[in-house]
Amino acid sequence: MTEVPVKIEKDGKWVVSKIDIQQESMAVGEPVNRQIPFKSIVDLEERKNILVVTQKGEPPQVLRIASVEKVLQALKKVIIMSCSAYRLMAYFMSPAIRGGVMVTNPQWEKGAIAVLKTSIWFVSQNKQVSVPLSDVASIELTKREVQKKQVDVVKIDHLENSEVVTSFILCPISTLQVLFNFLKDATKEMDMAGNELDAVAAQVGMLIYSGMDSHAIENMLNISHKELDAIYENLSKLGLIEVMFIRKEVQLTPKGVRYISDAVKPPSP
Amino acid sequence: MGRILIVDDTLFMRTLLKNILFSGGHDIVGEAGDGDEAITKYKELKPDLVTMDVVMPKVNGIEALKAIKGLDPNARVVMCTAVGQEQMVKLAIKTGARGYIIKPFQAPKVLEEIKNVLGS
Repeated sequence: MTEVPVKIEKDGKWVVSKIDIQQESMAVGEPVNRQIPFKSIVDLEERKNILVVTQKGEPPQVLRIASVEKVLQALKKVIIMSCSAYRLMAYFMSPAIRGGVMVTNPQWEKGAIAVLKTSIWFVSQNKQVSVPLSDVASIELTKREVQKKQVDVVKIDHLENSEVVTSFILCPISTLQVLFNFLKDATKEMDMAGNELDAVAAQVGMLIYSGMDSHAIENMLNISHKELDAIYENLSKLGLIEVMFIRKEVQLTPKGVRYISDAVKPPSP
Repeated sequence: MGRILIVDDTLFMRTLLKNILFSGGHDIVGEAGDGDEAITKYKELKPDLVTMDVVMPKVNGIEALKAIKGLDPNARVVMCTAVGQEQMVKLAIKTGARGYIIKPFQAPKVLEEIKNVLGS
């Protein structure tokens, strides 16, 4: 039906090939020679300009496809709409809020939501947004004003390049409830009771969220380096933070003091 | 860079915003813990921009925004509220707020919003 040029990863090397997109499957040409029924695809991930297609099986078969943006868009759309996934027609707004700031003129888009093994996809005529389930920070069934009416929506917060991005999904309440339960279940390992942190640790968490560094947190909360370290330890044990890097706190040695003292002396006449 | 008045009833949020705005090169000219104090400080300090919490004791953020816009129709006010109170956005924008930030927020985005509003 439609043949598109691609590069496929084969035995650790990228080889030039073609994909023939058919009604119910796609045929990967020479030298890969593989027929992939869309219904056998259980996962689709996007990593920069590479699509990772996972076919069910023991073990699952993984196909990495690279191409130009236009081709990848066409492939994504057809795979998402035809693969084995929990799919529903809905309105979505993504992104609606980025880093706590409302996006200017966010629009509801009519399209489909597909929940795959590792990610949620929002697909409309012009847009394909992927949210990896491992990056989902929170899911909430809430209300939002749409055309002067309060309607039920699912709100999803996820991390994108260290920014917290909020998206909304709108569809009939029964479907919304199913989607909400499905997503809650898919991300249940992140659930916590909510009483694990004391007030100071919660404030530390809020300051980390806002982008404050350790020095700023110590100053703002008037706590010592040791106290902050103990809180970090606890947050880390709970899986709430990860260590990015360890910064050294140092002092000058006698040799260093001598060097600096000499360096600032005015030149002798 | 702007002269900014921070209005929030919690010291923690005021300190956080102060740190973020200071790191962006802004001058924090004052702080207020409720809407009443915000109106008084606005008259006194004439800041370039106000960050205004919505839910506060005595006079809330929306009422304080109305009063400040009454004093100065060109006042630049950025509203600041918690998740789940997004429906306040429309009311605040209708009342004349120039921007909106939702807690919890991230420093780079707050600075971007403040820059946009100061430039408007």
